[in-house]
Amino acid sequence: MKKTFNWLSYFWINVVETLLRFFPFPAKTGMVKIGSPNRNSPVLLTCNFQLTVRRVKHALKDVDCYLLIANTKGINVWCAATGGHLNNHSVISVIKTSGIEKQVDHKKIVLPQLAAPGVESKVIKKKTSWKVLWGPVDIKDIKEFLDNNFTKSEKMHKVTFPLIERIEMAIMWAFPLSVFLSLIWIPFFIDELLALWVQVWAISLITFLLYPIFEPLLLKEKRQKKHAFFGWSKSLILIFVSSFALLGTVVYTIILNTNMFEPWLFARWCIFSFIVSIILVIDLTGTTPIFKSDTHGDKVFTIKVDSEKCEGTGICLSVCPRNCFEMDEEKSLAIFKREQDCVQCSACIVQCPFDAIQFEDQKGNIFTPETVRKFKLNLSGKRTIRENQS
Amino acid sequence: MKVLESSPHRYDKGIRILTLGKIDEIYDRLVENIDKGDHVLDIGCGTGMLSVRAINKGASVVGIDINPQMLEIASKRAEQLDYQAELELLEMGVAEMDGFEDSSFDKVMSSLCFSELPEYELEYTLIQTRRVLKEEGLFIIGDENKPRTLIKKILNFLIRFPLVLITYILTQTTTSALYNLDLKLQSSGFELISVRNNKLENFIEIIARKSKESLS
Repeated sequence: MKKTFNWLSYFWINVVETLLRFFPFPAKTGMVKIGSPNRNSPVLLTCNFQLTVRRVKHALKDVDCYLLIANTKGINVWCAATGGHLNNHSVISVIKTSGIEKQVDHKKIVLPQLAAPGVESKVIKKKTSWKVLWGPVDIKDIKEFLDNNFTKSEKMHKVTFPLIERIEMAIMWAFPLSVFLSLIWIPFFIDELLALWVQVWAISLITFLLYPIFEPLLLKEKRQKKHAFFGWSKSLILIFVSSFALLGTVVYTIILNTNMFEPWLFARWCIFSFIVSIILVIDLTGTTPIFKSDTHGDKVFTIKVDSEKCEGTGICLSVCPRNCFEMDEEKSLAIFKREQDCVQCSACIVQCPFDAIQFEDQKGNIFTPETVRKFKLNLSGKRTIRENQS
Repeated sequence: MKVLESSPHRYDKGIRILTLGKIDEIYDRLVENIDKGDHVLDIGCGTGMLSVRAINKGASVVGIDINPQMLEIASKRAEQLDYQAELELLEMGVAEMDGFEDSSFDKVMSSLCFSELPEYELEYTLIQTRRVLKEEGLFIIGDENKPRTLIKKILNFLIRFPLVLITYILTQTTTSALYNLDLKLQSSGFELISVRNNKLENFIEIIARKSKESLS
């Protein structure tokens, strides 16, 4: 019998985990039957971030398939893949120990495309003989992907930052910030609490609602090591956001506060509003899927394609979530064309079967595919590696 | 012990602090069961603290772990002690243990690893461990444990809570301690030789033997 989809719990999970989006929520790992799958039904894999699992199940509610939930420590697919928690071992483990091999007659597994920085399809094939197919970036496209016999349209390759996701990110910042500020405010200025929440949420929302205006600025500035953390583009955005915050401060402390002007009230509102603005803008890029995070200013890399090794299979084109590559059909070569768009997720490096792609930092140091696969985004941050290189 | 794993170069020091210096004692006690010439598998060898001790006793060790950074430290440690010949390190998870041949190890040991495995992985590991062990081979385990009595559960919670909270804040992950590992071992075809709990029953040391009768 088909289980009806539980809308109420779906709603609550979405609310709670959007408010607490910063924190991992581990879901139960293992194999899940969706609908009434048979021996030829597709097998899909996802992470064990509770919110993702729920959304995947929601998107699959009219599909008969098996869903494998890999142990990613409760972290979402992209973060887990680039951070080393969604790796070969988590995929091999769930394939071999969940019992899926007894359920289906094929050996094909659909992984989210954004798992590509962490999971090597070559290794999975070798260790389990299962073939990895890279599914769409967004789970909403999964039905279309399955209906079209596992083929992806152009849009299924790319990450985007639509309004709904921007609002989610705004809430992700607004909620913990307002809770934290409330803890400071409650003992001293409890009657300001409601206004404080309105202010924090307004600053967060305005930052992300107006993001499409900020994006061209961020794109225009060439990312350099020196200015990576706070360049001119972010300074402009900060001026804009904090001016807005100042407006809120003025409205509350002068217009709404019917008593006379209180300098200390105005000052503390200015201070916390400015701090909130800085927190939001300082790594605005890292909160989007369009840019790499700036919290590691020392890791500004570029991608180098070795034309000797490249055989033009185009795997890099198919796993790149930012459409940075183009194919030179004549020479059968992949070309790294749009450097500005690259988020340094390393999916292309990890997946290239010929080891033809590597990172190069601004000093010209090379990070080989072997290093990238082994140490993920930690590659130059950890002492162990530094020792190795010297 | 997630908080430590995310920064492998601090792992050893951290774990000593967290166990109030007891970890060395525990490791020493665990390797008392290792004999000269033993071929030993160390599941979740991490930085190789236990592996190296087993080699000190004259064993040769295969250490497996999924964390390449921890293995890097283990390999450095082996290099410093000139143990490269005795210690083979493999980056693999327990799910790949089916690559080892039947009855290929005299002893299998594991410390602070099983509490991080999901239930079905632990089950799989116990089956594989039994398979790779020689007849009457020993299975040596030291791990975080969930106490059974209510009072100890509460005490343990109070003591563990700040630790779990700090771990969660720093790494946003948490570990679940093992529950009823002794019973799970028995139902997977091991006979218990000794079970040692600490006073709070939050750390368990088990020595088990692969029982003779085959599992149906």
